[in-house]
Amino acid sequence: MSETKNPPGGKNESAASPKIGIPRREFLNEIAAGALGIAGLGSMVVTYRYLSPNVLFEPPTTFLVGSPDLYPQNSVTFLQDQQVYIVRTDQGFYAVSAVCTHLGCITQWKPELEQIACPCHGSKFRLDGTKIEGPAPRPLPHFSIALTADGELQVDTLEILPLNQVLKV
Amino acid sequence: MMTNQENKYEAGFSSNAKKDPVRVVFISKKTSATVTGDPGQQVMTYPHLVVREAIAFMVLVIALVAVALFWDAPLEQLANPLLTPNPAKAPWYFLGLQELLHYFPPLVAGIIIPTLVVIGLVVIPYFSVNVQGKPLWSEDRKRNLWMVLFVLVALVLLLGFSRAWTVLVPTALIGALMLYSYFAAAKSSPRREYLRTRPLSWWIMTWFILVAVVLTVVGTYFRGPGWSWVWPWSNHAG
Amino acid sequence: MTTSFSFQGALERLRETRVWRSIFRRGPARTNRTRSLAIFGNLFLHLLPVKVREKSLGVRASYYLGSISFLLFIVLVISGILLMFYYHPASPQAYRDMKDLRFVVSNGVFLRNLHRIAAQLMVLLVFWHMFHVFYRGGYKPPHEFNWVIGVFLLLATLFLSYTGYLLPWDQLAFWAITVGTNIISAMPAIGKKVRFISLGGNRVGENALLRFYVLHCVVLPLIAIVLIAVHFWRVRKDGGLTVREHDDEPGK
Repeated sequence: MSETKNPPGGKNESAASPKIGIPRREFLNEIAAGALGIAGLGSMVVTYRYLSPNVLFEPPTTFLVGSPDLYPQNSVTFLQDQQVYIVRTDQGFYAVSAVCTHLGCITQWKPELEQIACPCHGSKFRLDGTKIEGPAPRPLPHFSIALTADGELQVDTLEILPLNQVLKV
Repeated sequence: MMTNQENKYEAGFSSNAKKDPVRVVFISKKTSATVTGDPGQQVMTYPHLVVREAIAFMVLVIALVAVALFWDAPLEQLANPLLTPNPAKAPWYFLGLQELLHYFPPLVAGIIIPTLVVIGLVVIPYFSVNVQGKPLWSEDRKRNLWMVLFVLVALVLLLGFSRAWTVLVPTALIGALMLYSYFAAAKSSPRREYLRTRPLSWWIMTWFILVAVVLTVVGTYFRGPGWSWVWPWSNHAG
Repeated sequence: MTTSFSFQGALERLRETRVWRSIFRRGPARTNRTRSLAIFGNLFLHLLPVKVREKSLGVRASYYLGSISFLLFIVLVISGILLMFYYHPASPQAYRDMKDLRFVVSNGVFLRNLHRIAAQLMVLLVFWHMFHVFYRGGYKPPHEFNWVIGVFLLLATLFLSYTGYLLPWDQLAFWAITVGTNIISAMPAIGKKVRFISLGGNRVGENALLRFYVLHCVVLPLIAIVLIAVHFWRVRKDGGLTVREHDDEPGK
């Protein structure tokens, strides 16, 4: 099978046909720019992943707070290290965050006023976390509190519960 | 010629070169007063030099990344002040010095010799004895030969007395090469001709480099526990 | 097939926008005037002359040894800064951070390898550059002082490598620096004092680690940058790279 070769006089033909495609120089420049772009983008992605830590040395977000018997009926216990109030009512247990939702100060439970008060800007909350007065934008969140298989109470600060949910023990 | 009437409230310059002609720079043929000699053929820095530097950078990064992906940097045990590893070696660029420490006391090998080396390097350009680079054997052949022989013999004796074999061997090698270059007939072969026409500064620097390389290689591969001599294939010395 | 959209065309239109022209004022470098402006009007590049000798561009003229040394320095600064985000210069936390970089941090191994290999290569290359300049006679007048600056740059490089060597705080690091600082104390009269100041104490400990960290990350890089700038300036002011008659033009 013979291949038809372009006759030497084919120059006229290519001059008459329309210019298609892009010039070789432009094409190579675009390829090079694309490659550099990919390299640059790749470097940025790699650097970003490098800079975001995979391991953090911060306190755990779930912790045990002891057996339910430690908490008398109708009591409020402030756990300072975990920044949480463990409240036991007639219905059961709930855990309220002690961190004020305004700007992060640690609140104080005032039993004589039955209020959780924030010393920084005067926000006041009821025991269930709802706001009485002050600049705080949201009520204090309730953390999930559950009973482990060993019979201990466990709080998870990443899980927020609705206000009226209690753990019946 | 532009009058200043319209421009009297303007500061700075506009991007319109016709309206506001801006002198960029006078590039005259003259250059810094210290430059002597004809510059020869010149090209624009941009793009010629800039593009070459960019290419050099890209090639370098590719090579570095390729190596870094496969060759892991070492990490030994936690630092323990109570336990000295045997041998305790310096980084490779100081291993030559550590090898020298084996023969000479710390003051000599650790302070005096490095200081002399640095001073020697610094004064090289100010020793304008041989700016033209005259070959060592071109003039006063016999006198130069005797001086070279004297220095070589003194060095070999001193090194032999200190039992500094790793310095003595490359020194003897260079000495032999110098004698060979002295006796080489003119234009006998390109290599011989090259050696024959080397100036003294070339010989001294080449001797220094050879000694430094030999010391470093020995310190890296031929020294084991207690800085004893080991053969690199028999024991892990490096 | 025809492409009605071309990147070149888009780039040209971008270059004509007002924002672009307010930042990049010279326009495309297609005339010798704009090519001159590319060098002369650039903060970083105007250390260079507008024209260079063609013979100095060939690979065999300089083997680009000086350039590569400088480029390695840049790689080391960038990788070093990234490594600093995870490294605490305290004992024994420093060693744990090295382990973290190896096992926990994404691409930590790669960055540390890159930093170390670039460091070894830079020491090798500055030595090679010095020997090459010597054999080419690039130290002869009027370049004498630039050679001296080069010697100091060599010392800076060695000290940068040496101070960095301690930072992993492993056995290799600890004992290499112990031996080195003991040699320093052999200096007559001032040796012990110099060693005391370098270590911040009598032995290689926490103070030594912190001092070497500050030297390695702040003091020595600043000195190196200043010396590099003067070194480049001097090369160009004194007429550029040394060329020999037998040097080829690039591409030959």
